[in-house]
Amino acid sequence: MKEIDNKNTDLKVEDFSKDSDRLLELTNDDLMPLPEPLDDKAKSEPPWKPLSDSAKEKYESDLDNTLLLNIPKPKSKEEEKKYIKQFLQGLEKLFTKENNWVFLQPFKLTMEHCTKCHTCSEACHIFQASGRAELYRPTYRTEILRRIYFKYLKPGGRFFGRWQHGDIDLNWKTVARLAELSYRCNLCRRCAQACPIGCDNGLVAREIRKLFSQELGWATKELHEKGSMQQLRVGSSTGMNPEVVKDNMDFIDEDASDITGMDIKTPWDVQGADILLIHNAGEILSWPENPAAFAVILQAAGISWTLSSEALGYDSVNYGLFYDDAMLAKVVIKHALAAKKLGVKKIVFGECGHAHKALTIIADRILTGDLNIPRESSMPLLRDIVMSGKLKLDPSRNDFPVTLHDPCNMVRMMGIVEPQREVLRKIAPRFREMTPHGVNNYCCGGGSGFAIHSGHNFVDWRMKVSGRMKMKQILEAFKGEDSSSETYKYICAPCSNCKGQFRDILEYYGLTENNGIHYGGLVELIVNAMTDVKPGFIRAWEQ
Amino acid sequence: MPIFEHGSVKVEVDEDGFMQNPEEWTEEVAAALATTEGVDELGEEHWKVIHFLRDYYQKFGVAPMIRKLCKETGFKLKKIYELFPSGPAKGACKVAGLAKPTGCV
Repeated sequence: MKEIDNKNTDLKVEDFSKDSDRLLELTNDDLMPLPEPLDDKAKSEPPWKPLSDSAKEKYESDLDNTLLLNIPKPKSKEEEKKYIKQFLQGLEKLFTKENNWVFLQPFKLTMEHCTKCHTCSEACHIFQASGRAELYRPTYRTEILRRIYFKYLKPGGRFFGRWQHGDIDLNWKTVARLAELSYRCNLCRRCAQACPIGCDNGLVAREIRKLFSQELGWATKELHEKGSMQQLRVGSSTGMNPEVVKDNMDFIDEDASDITGMDIKTPWDVQGADILLIHNAGEILSWPENPAAFAVILQAAGISWTLSSEALGYDSVNYGLFYDDAMLAKVVIKHALAAKKLGVKKIVFGECGHAHKALTIIADRILTGDLNIPRESSMPLLRDIVMSGKLKLDPSRNDFPVTLHDPCNMVRMMGIVEPQREVLRKIAPRFREMTPHGVNNYCCGGGSGFAIHSGHNFVDWRMKVSGRMKMKQILEAFKGEDSSSETYKYICAPCSNCKGQFRDILEYYGLTENNGIHYGGLVELIVNAMTDVKPGFIRAWEQ
Repeated sequence: MPIFEHGSVKVEVDEDGFMQNPEEWTEEVAAALATTEGVDELGEEHWKVIHFLRDYYQKFGVAPMIRKLCKETGFKLKKIYELFPSGPAKGACKVAGLAKPTGCV
């Protein structure tokens, strides 16, 4: 870092286009402090793993410590120019209603009306956790794009735009860094909620990702090639085809029957069922206790429900939400078709936050006519079942500290706040809230698909920076409890992506082994309290 | 993509060290990949895990559920971690030459 001395606070918008080294290199000293037992960074903070020399040689890596997009270095000036041209074409499309049928209005408003009051910066967990690194300020990324917009797209912008709105040089560095920087935001949109005039810097990050994906074909392989594309090809982003998923669920039924002492049978392809339940298929592979617990509850409550073995009908994932409108639409339609084929009354999503938002709110613009099948969260359904008295529940079976994580897509962005809390107040006597919570929650740090990214050294960034604020909240929620592993503590996180982040961060800081902090969903806690089930449901799956 | 080299073994891997072309896997490759896991010699128990993973992967094109792996091999998860310190997905699957697991897993 020769060229920029005080990188955290001195970085200017103009620096973004300079042919310099990295703009930011965070160290452990920069990071926001954490409470006990992670208060001594020298002991608890692992060293940053450097990017390998081969990665630096091959990919554009002049942004910060890490890499997600893996943009190959262009071989010639012509190639650079081609990308810059494509970028400008894509940017133009973002501002036309024919090409941006979903987000044009809020996007345009954000571009034209920010007053730079920086209220959003105080709301952003990444900016705060990084020790207020200018590069991660929510308005920094937006300001780059705004200046490009006013200078290169507006009529007369080359003369007036740069005087009115500040200058920027659109060169290869600007394009490559902006693409990578769009993947340093969890898209949690806490900034948008804090903005007094409704500017949405989270949306801007998402729209930049979209521009690069739809116009230049740049997206992370986890989201696109191994995510959306594999899902459309095989049936699930996990690679499970219908035969494998049924085989795995049979196995889960057997396990669930052993563990609960009930005879659990997951219904498949039931024509005319009331509810088509769609899980995030990752649950089936990595957290089988979650689909098992759903099966136990729905069976015990006598609900008419089914899973679908139609391709995509058993995997609610829709990564397009994070980076690409066309992929989003393709997947949404497949989900609706699976429900239509079975003639169910409604679709209900399991514990997956982004699927909630993709298939209810965003899909509203896509699903019309007979594809507009009612679509609901499982949270109110679970609340209704728990409150109905159909399940015999003994809260003392959950006699351990429990706190609740609010998945951003489900809570801040959809307002599903209370049902899960009503359940917890009834079944978890030692439930306590995090501060803040509900629609003011902080992202787990894995949001926008980060939880499935671990290439190069990205895990360090995801744990130390994007996951940091949530870890602080969790440790504060359990403050005053015995912090040893003797006392079992539970983070209730009703979202697969958030669970992936918690699994990784608890392991990274040794918090399960040393401090007894565990995590899981909501349905597991419900079944854990059911008296018709053998005691110790949650622990049985941890063996 | 990076090339992983160890002794006479030379294979293409992704940025996480998983094989790019799982069909090029041999037992010799497994032994070489195991060194990245801090395992210098593969014993009978390692091979039991590796062979189950390979067989399942060849049949279904995807890694098995971790719970299934434990049940079929008779090893508890803790034991799998003892054998492959990075765990079943990042450790055992890598040595067995499977592609990196995908989706929200």
